[in-house]
Amino acid sequence: MRTTTPFFSLVVYSLLPAALHAAPPTDPQAIEFFEKHVRPVLVSKCQSCHGAKRQQGGLRLDSRAALLKGSDNGAVVVPGQPDKSLLVKVIRYDGDVQMPPKGKLPDETIAHLTEWVKMGAPWPEELVQAEALTLSVAEVRRTHWAFQPVRKPELPAVKKTDWVKTPIDAFVLAGLERKGLAPAPTADRRTLIRRVTLDLHGLPPTPEEVAAFEMDRSPDAYERLIDRLLASPRYGERWGRHWLDVARYADSKGYVFQEERRYPFAYTYRDYVIRAFNEDLPYDQFVLQQLAADQLPLGDDKRPLAALGFLTLGRRFLNNIHDIIDDRIDVTMRGLQGLTVGCARCHDHKFDPISQKDYYSLYGVFASSEEPKDLPLIAKPEQTAELVAFEKELAKRKAEVEKYREQHKDEIAKGNRKFRDGLRALEAKVEEWQANSPIAPPRAMVLIDKPMPQTPHVFLRGNPNNPGPEVPRQFLEVVAGEKRQPFRQGSGRLELARAIVDRKNPLTARVLVNRVWLHHFGAGLVRTPSDFGLRGDPPTHPELLDWLAATFMDNGWSIKKLHRLILLSNTYQQASSCDPRLREMDPDNRFLGRMNRQRLDFEAMRDSLLYVAGRLDTTMGGRAVELTTQPFSTRRTVYGFIDRQNLPGLFRTFDFASPDATSPQRYTTTVPQQALFLMNSPFVVEQARYFLRRADVAGQAKEEEKINRMYKIAYGRAAEADEIALGLRFLAEVKKSAEANKTTLPLSAWEQYAQVLLLSNEFAFVD
Amino acid sequence: MKNPIACLPLTRRDFLCRSGMGFASLGLASLMASQGLLSAATGTDRSISPLAPKGPHFTPKAKRVIHLFMNGGPSHVDTFDPKPSLQKYAGKLLPRTNLRTERKTGAAFPSPFQFQRYGKSGIEVSELFAHTARCIDDICVIRSMYADVPNHEPSLMLMNCGEARQIRPSMGSWITYGLGSENQNLPGFIAMCPGGYPIQETQNWQSAFLPGAYQGTYIDTRHTDVDKLIENIRNTSLSLAEQRRQLDLLRQLNERHQERRQHDAQLEARIQSFELAYRMQMDASDAFDVSREPKYIREMYGPGTQARQILIARRLLEKGVRFVQVWHGAGQPWDSHDDIEIQHRRLAKECDQAIAALLLDLKQRGMLDDTLVIWGGEFGRTPTVELPSPGNNAGKVNGRDHNHWGFTMWLAGGGVKGGYVHGATDEFGFQAVEDKVHVHDLHATILYLLGFDHERLTYRYAGRDFRLTDVYGRVVKELLA
Repeated sequence: MRTTTPFFSLVVYSLLPAALHAAPPTDPQAIEFFEKHVRPVLVSKCQSCHGAKRQQGGLRLDSRAALLKGSDNGAVVVPGQPDKSLLVKVIRYDGDVQMPPKGKLPDETIAHLTEWVKMGAPWPEELVQAEALTLSVAEVRRTHWAFQPVRKPELPAVKKTDWVKTPIDAFVLAGLERKGLAPAPTADRRTLIRRVTLDLHGLPPTPEEVAAFEMDRSPDAYERLIDRLLASPRYGERWGRHWLDVARYADSKGYVFQEERRYPFAYTYRDYVIRAFNEDLPYDQFVLQQLAADQLPLGDDKRPLAALGFLTLGRRFLNNIHDIIDDRIDVTMRGLQGLTVGCARCHDHKFDPISQKDYYSLYGVFASSEEPKDLPLIAKPEQTAELVAFEKELAKRKAEVEKYREQHKDEIAKGNRKFRDGLRALEAKVEEWQANSPIAPPRAMVLIDKPMPQTPHVFLRGNPNNPGPEVPRQFLEVVAGEKRQPFRQGSGRLELARAIVDRKNPLTARVLVNRVWLHHFGAGLVRTPSDFGLRGDPPTHPELLDWLAATFMDNGWSIKKLHRLILLSNTYQQASSCDPRLREMDPDNRFLGRMNRQRLDFEAMRDSLLYVAGRLDTTMGGRAVELTTQPFSTRRTVYGFIDRQNLPGLFRTFDFASPDATSPQRYTTTVPQQALFLMNSPFVVEQARYFLRRADVAGQAKEEEKINRMYKIAYGRAAEADEIALGLRFLAEVKKSAEANKTTLPLSAWEQYAQVLLLSNEFAFVD
Repeated sequence: MKNPIACLPLTRRDFLCRSGMGFASLGLASLMASQGLLSAATGTDRSISPLAPKGPHFTPKAKRVIHLFMNGGPSHVDTFDPKPSLQKYAGKLLPRTNLRTERKTGAAFPSPFQFQRYGKSGIEVSELFAHTARCIDDICVIRSMYADVPNHEPSLMLMNCGEARQIRPSMGSWITYGLGSENQNLPGFIAMCPGGYPIQETQNWQSAFLPGAYQGTYIDTRHTDVDKLIENIRNTSLSLAEQRRQLDLLRQLNERHQERRQHDAQLEARIQSFELAYRMQMDASDAFDVSREPKYIREMYGPGTQARQILIARRLLEKGVRFVQVWHGAGQPWDSHDDIEIQHRRLAKECDQAIAALLLDLKQRGMLDDTLVIWGGEFGRTPTVELPSPGNNAGKVNGRDHNHWGFTMWLAGGGVKGGYVHGATDEFGFQAVEDKVHVHDLHATILYLLGFDHERLTYRYAGRDFRLTDVYGRVVKELLA
């Protein structure tokens, strides 16, 4: 319970009636006045000495309650009476005490503050707990669970020891037993192989795989099953995609004026991720490469350079550099650290101990990095005639850009719109040529250090035209501690990466094991997977989370070993049905006394349809393919073109991760548009037709056998007698009515039937 | 749910524990719990069906919204904000400096259009909107709108999403999220634009970090065939009867599947979704088929694409769609940098009669009282003439540049004060000076009319409680009836 204390104290704070802190009901104009003219002054001129961190003279000026409380010497403000208010006196430089000490405020500002006090010092009602900020960075570091060092806890004692297959089970069982609950029975073998195959591959098992597993009575049958699945390249395509959600992967830039919209080489990042998962690249290496591959000794194989796409393939915000950097900070900090640092762009984080200075320390790292004009090649292409022609045209287009730039350099320098546009149009042609030419050799979307690193300034209220104090490039205080050192090498990106994968970093391993757990179980141990801060949810099993994180690091940051640990546990192998009493007591399954039933996500659904129809093209990698237009691609969904600007309705309908920002977890909504797609889209109808054309279906002589085979393919089990009867009756009815109407059916009775099997809940859910 | 502690995370967590839902419900359920939106929907189904009807914070004046988006930026001094002083300075520089807009502008450019007083209120409207003007006593004209920058992209984003650069949910998404939809057989939020997208494209109706179900469903109203209007709305190989037979079999299979498992709201919800989809095929076809309207109604709206899409919009509102946005056309049609007299006349002619018809039609159906009609662009235009620049309007000195300093929008129905003019621009219409209304204020007011406190309609994402009005916005009480 140690770790929960600060959390609850926080809640208690927030339960205090808001009125205690807030001004009497304030009118919006007064609030606007405050927000516009007063708060910015308090934040930029006063709070560094009278705020959360320091309280000179015992005075704080960051909430109304604190303001009214005054300093050690008493009240500083008498609402409504500026002449009796010490605050007004000191800013006027009227007496001995003159504030702010560094220099008198402009007259206009003094007038504003005076007016504000006269108005009664209105301050908007803040439901947010001002109290949370009273915890200093050091206190939060000391008390919040997520900032505690990762330790490997002792295994708890349990009663039902025979249920414990792995240490995971001991932690889960101990939790259940404390509540007087028991785990669900182990799932049957058919359920298990379907579950774990869809989990690791995003595809259902074949009937033969199901049969072999059901027959295999050797004690290590399940373990071998897992090893087989982890060794297949289908695994990386499935789990790589989970990472692409975190990396807000897309193949386009978002809204642009004249530039080429597509990223011609985004795919090299996607392929890098898939390969990293398949090759079980240790997670610390994976992170290092994604943040700083350009600064690592790589040897001959330059493919890891593509890892930097993690930083570079975000939305381009019409090339607003501050927004681009903000996106990079966000994907790094939420994605890898579970911290919402983006909140500190305009002001100190309201809930977490992350200051605006911290934000700009990271800003400096990315502001000191840039994308080179020519992206590096990551493979040596074979010199074919086609390639030569491609290179020739590319060189020609590049030369045109240079020629134009040279010819009109004065006008361009002056910002003449016409010539600037002219230059951009030519640059777009270079990129367009790369994007349109499948033969274009793969390049990595790298980031490199600028020749001279930039010392960042805080932008007051996030406004780049309003620079405040200078800050060093360095890591967050709440993670690195008070004794943190500024980064010294170039931009500091590599140092930032090393600070993240430092074994002592309390967040990195916890965040990652929670993400992995989440995809296996449908819910994380921490249910706010990208927010481990004070307002996130604390873990349901803090010790289990720590044990997994510590073991993960001990195992050389191997994700495949982590999968094995989890999948081999009895916890994972539970049935999704359980004692009704347990379901009632724990409807949200926080105690893990059963498996969560999960619905196939967009990729697993589409891939499974193709797979069952016998049509899945297992070609790996390469340029993205269009999925939504006919003739339909049969490639895996992970290779589909993702247009972040106009994401096709199909993707949104099926809750695909928004590629605008790092996505912690997908929604699972149920809307009729999903059903419409399954009922009516030519894609699904096409798969139903092919399902019947499979040799092992078409080849069945008897109708009963055909139905049985279809059940085995779609659901991994034989059809029961009444199900066969249902099917036969349906087929007969369709045929009868067709005969009665003397029509030939565009979709045969069997095809109609096949489609229904693919629409069913049994196909869409995993027990 | 008026209890103040309902806003706190503790309640959210408790709620989640009870709801028995995974992450799917986390955002929704937590919002509904924290925003007091639990009143209408019950049980766990509401979190699975994101569009189930929900109640707002307080009794709303408006239940649905239609936003007539004059994209490109209609000129206020040529439509709803007469400026006779421009005549005095015609062809001469104004006695004030021209405010900085996207491009350089020159001398005063008086409106080539005639203004006239209409209705009991006697509000002046130009000949461009002579039909609409006949409804002026139901219209609340805001002449003191202002935005932040004179460019289309950020201004469109500000008008639609309350934020110029960063990715935020659109107003329609927020409203559908807050209220759900009255008709589960149709999408809750529909964006119509004939011939393609406006600039910024689908971002104008994006759901951003809200679930995809709240994204506006785009309809290209250039088409008249329902198959082309809504994706997958019909099965081209099966009749409805055949499909019904398929769905009957599906239900049997699903029921069999469910009987062998413990009750699970997800399974049930998915079963229901097929029935909804089946009905949607009929309802949607019906909603988009204006030929089902009597002849006199079609004639009232007039000919052309604008008329058809505005009439479709009315049919959708009638069927319970929450938010319909009607865009004038692809790109930025109202962006008259040159030939404004010709262009604005053409554009207004395309939609004026239909807009008037919409107001009359809603009124005669008793729907105007609780339907909020919004008219306007992303900004207005300068009262000064745009100077020609190569590559843009070379050789032409007869258009106006963008103007975010001051412009006009109007509201009607849904609890606003009709026959009322709010605020004013300066003598020449360059800048809002009196009772200024920022876009954030407009949003706050719209949400208020729909029953929301704009500061409490929030969604927690990336560690912050986001809202449509960010940290701004005030309800403009003067606009309320």
